[in-house]
Amino acid sequence: MSTIKIFEGREGHIQQKGDDCLPISCNNDSLAGVVSQRACVYSGARVVLNPLTDALHLVHGPIGCAAYTWDIRGAASSGSDLYRNSFSTDMKELDVVFGGERKLAAALRELADRFHPQAIFVYSTCIVGIIGDDIETICKRAAMELGIPVVPVKSEGFRGNKNEGYKAACNSLLGLIGTCDYTPKSRYSVNLLGEYNVAGDVWHVMPLLEEMGIDVVATLTGDARVADIQRAHTAKLNLVQCSGSMTYLAKKMEERYGIPYRRISFFGLREMASALRTTADFFESRQLKEKAEQIILRETARVMPQIECHRSRVSGKKAAIYMGGAAKAISLVRAFQELGMDVVIIGTQTGDRDDYQRIGYIVKDGTLIIDDANPLELKELLLKQSADLLVAGVKERFLAYKLGIAFCDFNHDRTINFEGFQGMANFAREIDITINSPVWRLSVKRQSPINSRSDLTVDMGVGDAIKETCQG
Amino acid sequence: MPSKRLARVNPCSMCMPMGCVLVFRGVESCMTLFHGSQGCSTYMRLYLAHHFREPVDIASSALSEKGAVYGGAANLKQGLRNVILGYRPKAIGIATTCLAETIGDDVPQIISEFQEEEPLARDVTFIPVSTPSYAASHEVGYRVALKSLVQTMVRKSKPSGRINILVGSIVSPEDVRYLKKLLDCWGFDYILLPDISETFDAPLNEHLPRIPAGGTPLDDIRDLASSKATVTIGGLVQEPGAGYFLEKEFEIPHRPLPLPIGLDLCDRLAASLEELTGDPMPEYYERERGRLLDTMVDAHKVVAEARTAVFGDTEMVLGIARLMTELGMRPQIIATGAINRAFAEAALQMVPSSRIITGADFSEIAEEIMARDIELMVGPFTGRQTARKTKIPLLRVGLPNHDRFGASHQLLLGYEGSMRLVECMANSLIESKERRYA
Repeated sequence: MSTIKIFEGREGHIQQKGDDCLPISCNNDSLAGVVSQRACVYSGARVVLNPLTDALHLVHGPIGCAAYTWDIRGAASSGSDLYRNSFSTDMKELDVVFGGERKLAAALRELADRFHPQAIFVYSTCIVGIIGDDIETICKRAAMELGIPVVPVKSEGFRGNKNEGYKAACNSLLGLIGTCDYTPKSRYSVNLLGEYNVAGDVWHVMPLLEEMGIDVVATLTGDARVADIQRAHTAKLNLVQCSGSMTYLAKKMEERYGIPYRRISFFGLREMASALRTTADFFESRQLKEKAEQIILRETARVMPQIECHRSRVSGKKAAIYMGGAAKAISLVRAFQELGMDVVIIGTQTGDRDDYQRIGYIVKDGTLIIDDANPLELKELLLKQSADLLVAGVKERFLAYKLGIAFCDFNHDRTINFEGFQGMANFAREIDITINSPVWRLSVKRQSPINSRSDLTVDMGVGDAIKETCQG
Repeated sequence: MPSKRLARVNPCSMCMPMGCVLVFRGVESCMTLFHGSQGCSTYMRLYLAHHFREPVDIASSALSEKGAVYGGAANLKQGLRNVILGYRPKAIGIATTCLAETIGDDVPQIISEFQEEEPLARDVTFIPVSTPSYAASHEVGYRVALKSLVQTMVRKSKPSGRINILVGSIVSPEDVRYLKKLLDCWGFDYILLPDISETFDAPLNEHLPRIPAGGTPLDDIRDLASSKATVTIGGLVQEPGAGYFLEKEFEIPHRPLPLPIGLDLCDRLAASLEELTGDPMPEYYERERGRLLDTMVDAHKVVAEARTAVFGDTEMVLGIARLMTELGMRPQIIATGAINRAFAEAALQMVPSSRIITGADFSEIAEEIMARDIELMVGPFTGRQTARKTKIPLLRVGLPNHDRFGASHQLLLGYEGSMRLVECMANSLIESKERRYA
């Protein structure tokens, strides 16, 4: 295979579709020293649980773990903003020497008294795993004393990668689910799993489901309240979007409560339509199916002119995708197909064997597939594949920019809604404005009258950028 | 004065390893590696990328459960090897995290083993620094990294007559550029350390080097012990650091100075440089000083008696509070997330009537702000929630600034930086008055 090689031990993590080779290496520990883009167990747990708006998220550890995760997720709330605060037990040297249990117990009392949360999540960090604080017992006692759920999250940073954190978060959620009763308002009721309401995404999806006559019992965890989670066991169906973080929970809920699940995505026109159809099909209701088709027709007609306009300006361009989880990456491939763009690189931080099989199936021959990438590899691949655009998170943004490559933030701190029908139009515009920005046509090197050997062309203006813009 | 509460709500500080990155990034061809779990480096990369809007590569020894139980030597060595292979650095700063410290890894020992075993290590300088995250804040991390760097690298050689300029606190790339211009214009030989002016604010050009170009040359760092004096800028309330070490070990006179913010503190830097060099401050800067004074006079009524809250890193906060008092403003809250008694004493002396908080968090700062009818907040963007809730304008200065452009280009130091700050504060107050009466 003609690809790049920088680090020994990373060979199996990069493949080109079309090569006849072994399954990609994935879901193992990151190699030391290569600057993996992954974070830790705690980060995985934190991103899954943090959007729960009226819960208090207490990080048991030194200040840094809480400081760097303060309000980092762009998950929007229609109610409480308690989740946008950062709470830490701020462990100091003495706590490490003598144990942090007493401080944690006292901090729980203090915070419950000051903030009156509906529930408290207690995240353990690396240091807690080493000194062995018994968080579970403390949480149990505090829950009895305070009269609210106090849920331990076993998220010691070093105990694996983000996937372990997702699992820890799901286990914590399982501790809450089924603790309150509820009768759904409709015969057709669902939970949305792995939907985090980044930039208010869910508010562009929920009204459509409601219009079909579906009761969304709980969203896990975007814009969710503790009470929603507690009654999530009463829904008839789980719709799983971010499969990496929530498939585990969906399976557990199926085991425990007999709730089946379906994988869906609300991103991209076809995916969005298929999500509505999957839901209607599940309930085997003619009325739901008809309603779904009506909505799909109406909404597609509404956003299509705008998307078509952007499509005409971006089709044929080459996109690179580097995502945390595989579900988003796969949805992105489909969305780029809708825009007429080619995906030339696709990678994830935490995809597993199944994920990469699905990815391998949907991408074209020649596409590079990469697991747990690092900046040096990303740089080489972007140049080798002549990508016009990278879709990733903030850490990768400035790498793309420095290479003169357009960029779209598809991570948790984006501020533009991408889900639902309108979301796809927003996405199309976002891709258009970055790929077609005149900044990429400005010459990096100034042509100097003194140094006439310069063979760079003079770019006097922004010429072809002065096209009509698409109406939003 | 530190808070009596147990839990921190909305921190006003970061952890020790963060400070190290700001030092190591200011060294020529130097990479940072955190000995700990993968998350630490990823979080700090994210945090700094947001602030500087630059790619930030920080390696990790990626300790897993096995490493935590049996020790992290194997991971650390593999990490160092990969950093050398991937990045070809001339130096690697190795900062510990709470995990590595608590499992008790002897990093200097592991490094010397690595140097013996690994031919690749021959031309690389290794700088170990102990930064258990629970021990202190990012500011202390910055200073111990600076001290370790100097301790590890200096060697005595014949006197050079140069002056060491240590940047003792976290400042912006623009600040460092300003200092270098000032010193160049003054016309004496100096070594400035650390120099993040290019490395955290690189121009866009055709080639993206694996390690950003710039930083203090390694040979200069080795030569620090040959200089005739050391000035630590932003070293007023700090515990003994690199400057003291050079004084104690090599008898190089050391002057710890505050950050030059405000007329008086800028004059103090100027006076020190005049004494050390025997040359007067260049005329250009005399005129700049005059312009600052002119601006302060122009603005004095707009800002008069304005009730302000200043928070953030110690030295920066003290400098800004000082400028405010020079203008007739009334700093009501002077707060830092660090626990630092000298800071509290200096602040108290400057503004006896203000509420001084060390070890502050934003829940505490917010309570004080609401109790004191504050008109202007000055500090990092982490004050934004408080600002939004109280509808008080927040002038963003210092690290971190994730939600506005310009963090790398913000000049706070010198007569010029002070002048810009006066103008920004005055404009902020005018705008909020206009909004109120609109």
